[in-house]
Amino acid sequence: MDKATCIVVGAGPAGSACALSLARKGIETVMLERGRIPGEKNVSSFVLFIKELKRLIPDCMDDLPLERNIIRTDQMILCDTDVKTITSYNYQNIKDPITFTAYRRKFDAWFAKKAADAGAELITGMTVTDLIIDNGRVIGVKADDEELYADVVVGADGYHSKVAQASGLNPELNPEYCMLGVKEVLALPPEVINERFQLSDGLGAEMGLWNYNINNFKYGSGTLYTNTDSISLGAFASVAFLKEKNIKLHEYLETLKQHPYVSALIQDSTLREYQAHILSYGGRVEPDKLYGDGVLLCGEAGALVETFTGMGIPTCITSGMMAAETIEMAVKNKNFDSGMLKNYLKFLDSTSLLDIVYESQKEAAYWTGIGKDGFPADMKAVADTYNKAWDVDYMSKDYYPLMLNLYLKVGKHFMPNIFRWPINTGIKISCLYSKVYEKIKSIIRNRFYEWKKQYDS
Amino acid sequence: MSGKNNMTVDEKMATVKIKIDKDPHITVNYELCKKCTTRPCLIICTAENYKWDEKKDDLIFNYEGCLECGACRLICPEGAIDWSYPKQGCGVKFRFG
Repeated sequence: MDKATCIVVGAGPAGSACALSLARKGIETVMLERGRIPGEKNVSSFVLFIKELKRLIPDCMDDLPLERNIIRTDQMILCDTDVKTITSYNYQNIKDPITFTAYRRKFDAWFAKKAADAGAELITGMTVTDLIIDNGRVIGVKADDEELYADVVVGADGYHSKVAQASGLNPELNPEYCMLGVKEVLALPPEVINERFQLSDGLGAEMGLWNYNINNFKYGSGTLYTNTDSISLGAFASVAFLKEKNIKLHEYLETLKQHPYVSALIQDSTLREYQAHILSYGGRVEPDKLYGDGVLLCGEAGALVETFTGMGIPTCITSGMMAAETIEMAVKNKNFDSGMLKNYLKFLDSTSLLDIVYESQKEAAYWTGIGKDGFPADMKAVADTYNKAWDVDYMSKDYYPLMLNLYLKVGKHFMPNIFRWPINTGIKISCLYSKVYEKIKSIIRNRFYEWKKQYDS
Repeated sequence: MSGKNNMTVDEKMATVKIKIDKDPHITVNYELCKKCTTRPCLIICTAENYKWDEKKDDLIFNYEGCLECGACRLICPEGAIDWSYPKQGCGVKFRFG
């Protein structure tokens, strides 16, 4: 009977972070990955933040397979006839890079190899089909008709986690808390990408495409980011929402591609690959369902992801590292009961991970909001206000309430840091060209702060 | 072939590498599908693997072109879809995920 101390199911960011940490602690670990190469089953939706990765692997920049260093971020609201966009360049990211684009097949494979190099045994091309459960305790896994035993099994096997389902920790999947993504990788020569996005070699751009109303597709969001010689363009929506509205997500992506702004960016490109993937969108996490007798869940398997700001991979890495800490403690105490593994929550609490995930649950309720004044209604309000604020005559009295409205609607709920600055900047620029610059500036400033104070209180 | 537009889903699917499993990883209970009135699987599948044959009044399903997102299993109101991941390294192989 083959028996390891720990079996990690899934060699994605959570699984590799866990296996690497365990191997460094000298704990015998087997990683099972269903893809023949780790990462070939995964689809990235946005950029990769590497702060947590740097903590785990300080010299990771030496050989990390990356595409472009992201210095440009655009947030845009797309309408049929116009686009409102806010572009920011972060040159700090050149000096101290933390945001990149990467292909998952290269990135995940690199990460899993780090774990294997540290001593974990990596088995690829093997799908876990069931758990072996004895008296309510997980004692091993069934993988492609083989049986493997372990003191503890870590489920890091993604959204459709077999470990979560078979252990009874997370048997139900709720389509309301789930986003479907469809993406196209469009090949273009690097110099063309550089020119279109105003970049130099090795630097990249990411864009959030917030759909207001294109061709009657009122709701949905998109993502666009640059790789070395391709553009990744994707569309997202909640599964329950698509069902309710009877919308084909891939048709929505086509609509997005035909929007004048987007079509100019992807002009003359060739489709390199068509992809789809699912990701949890908050709302699913129940701390007491992250551990059981002989079993722990990390990453997407435990819904420990915060997808709203693109914090999927970092939270997965963090949860994998914390699972490893828990297992180290369990090994020392020779106890793998749920009572001991409950310490996982303490380790998670020592990070900001659970706070981030809870926060994203609120966001999820806000964005998926079917039947409530969630995503659709608020998105409309934001875009309406946003549109008006750009068109209004700043000399008119309507200006202040609109700006305030924008601040309240957008600033409070919707990407505060990005959207707060146009209010101030907008005022500054408008006034700069005015003959009564000083006077108006002081009036606007005073009035704005009065309004702000009044509404903040 | 231009990435601009006008590509059908079938043409797009030609860019995806898939090692086909001999055993279907998704099985559908067609009897339950006949009872279904909403058929959300027809809209949710981005690979358009679920189609409705109007003449035979029956579902046409192809597991071979599956992108493994699993949205169909979440959305099926009849519980007619038995879904699992392909075994032994089979299934989709994304090169540029």
